[in-house]
Amino acid sequence: MIISSLLITLTSSLAWQQADEREPVGRATAYRLDRIETLDGDALTNATVLVRDGVIERLGKAVVIPEHATIHDLRGTGSVMTPPLVLSHANFLQSDRRGGGNNSRFIAADSLWMNESWAEDLWQYGVGMVAIDPPGSGAPGRTSVLRVEPASKRPETLVDDLHLKLNMATNSSAKKLIREGIKAAEAAIENEVQAEKDWKKARKEWQEKQDAKKKADEEAKANGEEVEASDDEEKGPSETFEAPTIKDNEQAFVDWVRKERVAQVHMRSASDWLHWQQLMGEREESYEVVLSISSSTNLHEVIDDIVAGVRVDVPARMSFLPYTRNRINIASELVAAGCEKIVLSPSSNSSRGVSDFRLQISRLLAEGLDEAVALRAITLEPSLAIGQEEVMGTIAIGMPASFVIWSGDVFDPFTEVTSLVLDGEEKFNREQFELEQQR
Amino acid sequence: MKTIIHLFLALAFCANVTAQDSSYLAIVGGDIHTVTDGVIMKGVVLCKDSRILKIGKRVRIPEGAEVIDASGMQVYPGLIAADASGIVNGRGVDVADSYDPYKLNLDLALAGGITTIQNGGMVVKLKHGTIDNVLAGPTSWINLNYSSTSPAGRRRVREEFSKVRDYMRLHRGWKLTSSMGEDAGDEPEAKGVKEDYLALLKGEATARFSANSLKDLLATCELLEEYPMQSVIYGGQEAWACAGRLGRVNARLIITPRSKKWASDDLNRPSGWTIENANILWEHGVKFAILPGENSISLMGLAGRDLMTLPMEAAFAIRGGLQQDAALRAITIDAAEILGVDHRMGSLEVGKDANIIVCDGDLFHYRSFVQWAVVDGKLMYDKQKASYFAHIRPRAEEVIDEMEEVIDEMEEVTNIDAPEVVDNP
Repeated sequence: MIISSLLITLTSSLAWQQADEREPVGRATAYRLDRIETLDGDALTNATVLVRDGVIERLGKAVVIPEHATIHDLRGTGSVMTPPLVLSHANFLQSDRRGGGNNSRFIAADSLWMNESWAEDLWQYGVGMVAIDPPGSGAPGRTSVLRVEPASKRPETLVDDLHLKLNMATNSSAKKLIREGIKAAEAAIENEVQAEKDWKKARKEWQEKQDAKKKADEEAKANGEEVEASDDEEKGPSETFEAPTIKDNEQAFVDWVRKERVAQVHMRSASDWLHWQQLMGEREESYEVVLSISSSTNLHEVIDDIVAGVRVDVPARMSFLPYTRNRINIASELVAAGCEKIVLSPSSNSSRGVSDFRLQISRLLAEGLDEAVALRAITLEPSLAIGQEEVMGTIAIGMPASFVIWSGDVFDPFTEVTSLVLDGEEKFNREQFELEQQR
Repeated sequence: MKTIIHLFLALAFCANVTAQDSSYLAIVGGDIHTVTDGVIMKGVVLCKDSRILKIGKRVRIPEGAEVIDASGMQVYPGLIAADASGIVNGRGVDVADSYDPYKLNLDLALAGGITTIQNGGMVVKLKHGTIDNVLAGPTSWINLNYSSTSPAGRRRVREEFSKVRDYMRLHRGWKLTSSMGEDAGDEPEAKGVKEDYLALLKGEATARFSANSLKDLLATCELLEEYPMQSVIYGGQEAWACAGRLGRVNARLIITPRSKKWASDDLNRPSGWTIENANILWEHGVKFAILPGENSISLMGLAGRDLMTLPMEAAFAIRGGLQQDAALRAITIDAAEILGVDHRMGSLEVGKDANIIVCDGDLFHYRSFVQWAVVDGKLMYDKQKASYFAHIRPRAEEVIDEMEEVIDEMEEVTNIDAPEVVDNP
């Protein structure tokens, strides 16, 4: 006890010295925890995170805490810090559901309908960011990324217009839709290239004509002739190239074919994958796979082919092999087959699905899924999937201070969120929340 | 005893040198029912890629070929279901885009020996685990409604055919005149002539009728006598009663030997169903394919009358007097001919598609199982690996494999190497 107090005075005196060297700006908050799952190298035990101005300033076992800093000392309680959970393809906040066909002009964020408590509902389960899928079959639209913040109607989006969502199915209409989408996009690109060529040619011809005219005029002037200023000067092509407009429903496909957009391909069976492979053929557009598996699945048939570098989003649930009572853990099968990019999602597409998300994952762990893989699959991987790894996903120096503090092991179903911090601001606190619930 | 087992193992091992990457597949030691060229006892069928390369008693098997040991078994061409539903989805070319190669019904059809079906006007190969090259081509069938329940429909059909015939005569006359170098005027236009019907009379398409009763069959014969064309008649329950006439108009039938029908009182000639239907048609030279009562894989109702047991339906025709090789034709080469794919499948011949099944006994015996089904030269079904029937009378070789494992384990225990002794220098 004496030693530890001595240590604290020692560290605080050290902090004083350092504070002299660099001006302390803003409020500093220190979190001292039993374990920090950084997702950026090894986990730290008995470590400290120092947050200043919403950014993680220091991190480690021997962090110097400035004297004026607020200290949350949670050591000895089994506390664990992780990045917030990220849901990379939720569709529980959507108001309208579109039928089949190419509706790729729609943006998920445009049809959101939030209730008052949506943010708190997600915070209390440790969720800090969600990517919203446009619901519906065919090509229902593009995804949007939301920070979990309370808002009455439309919340602030981090990214409005992200992935192109495609529903792949073993039927001719689904394949036709994607095939025609690609064909139309290629035609639009070809059209633009041709238009630019035509413009360049027309511009060049016009320029030559103008130059010749100028020259003739100058010569005439030199010879003392009177030059008639022509009123009807020929109007040439515009100075800058104006690309022909692309149809609303073709734009997302064009971006995808140009490799400027990622497609999110939803599929549910092994044959869907084969048909998708046949559609893609030699193409190299980037895509990620979102599996929607039901109580039974035959995806094990193609699992070795799926893993070739593709990010796979798997619902957190056990399934049966078709027509048998043999259970299959698709997530761990993917890991065994060499897939490194796995995202786990709640198996139910409602905010309720989030409440037993960790319970479901704990079942996968009991059936052989690696715990480190599972943690990565609900924090960093979904962030990477939606390109927001700079916003949240790891706990590292210089990263925004967004994290969750759990009361114990993350995958213990009895563990609760003690506190959720986004950009250094505490958004959720279990004690306060429970007090409010009692009132 | 042990030496006998070892000898057995050595033999089994020789026949089981497998290599997955090889483009060769050999089925060795079985009795080969070629359908078109008799039976080769204890022969070899060698396939390369998707075709049959060689058939015979002395065929050299290339190194690394995948070998199926069919000793004591019967080898047949893959069976053909002239009409099927619920095994693949979609119609026409859409079948390729909605093909589910992991569907249970597809596996069960293969387990029943069927490797090719006709579904929605498209001839489709049944392949497990791949969606490549599954279509074998369209049937070019045109449905004609020529039933006694619709006299107006009949009249329309005859009127259309008469228009087509008039046009064809006109066109032939014009062609003849112009070929003699005389001025024949403009080519006559096919105005008001149905293209489908024209294709039928030109012999480019096949007319598909549905006729079970003698009345309907006779009316169909009459139409075919007036307008000769290729035809397929579905049903044909009372076909035996007009078999000679059906033979003369070259009609081809798709029959269900087990489907029963009362004799008709208002006819002054024999009618009704008979178990001898298939045999009588055969004796009159009428080509027919056999289909069970349900043209799907049925997991409900009574077993034995759907596509899971196609040979059982043909066996019933054998019971009615049909020769066994004729019954085999009715579910292989004759069905292929009716579908227009007999140049590619339906028999075991060099150059044909390698669609082959291996049975552990006579195809028409209720006890027999299909042990292996090969489609396009690739093993698509193995009874021992499919979970449905593997446990029923498991193959002997699997028992040998298990024994081999036990012996290996025993040898591992006894052959413990002594630690190496290094002399101290």
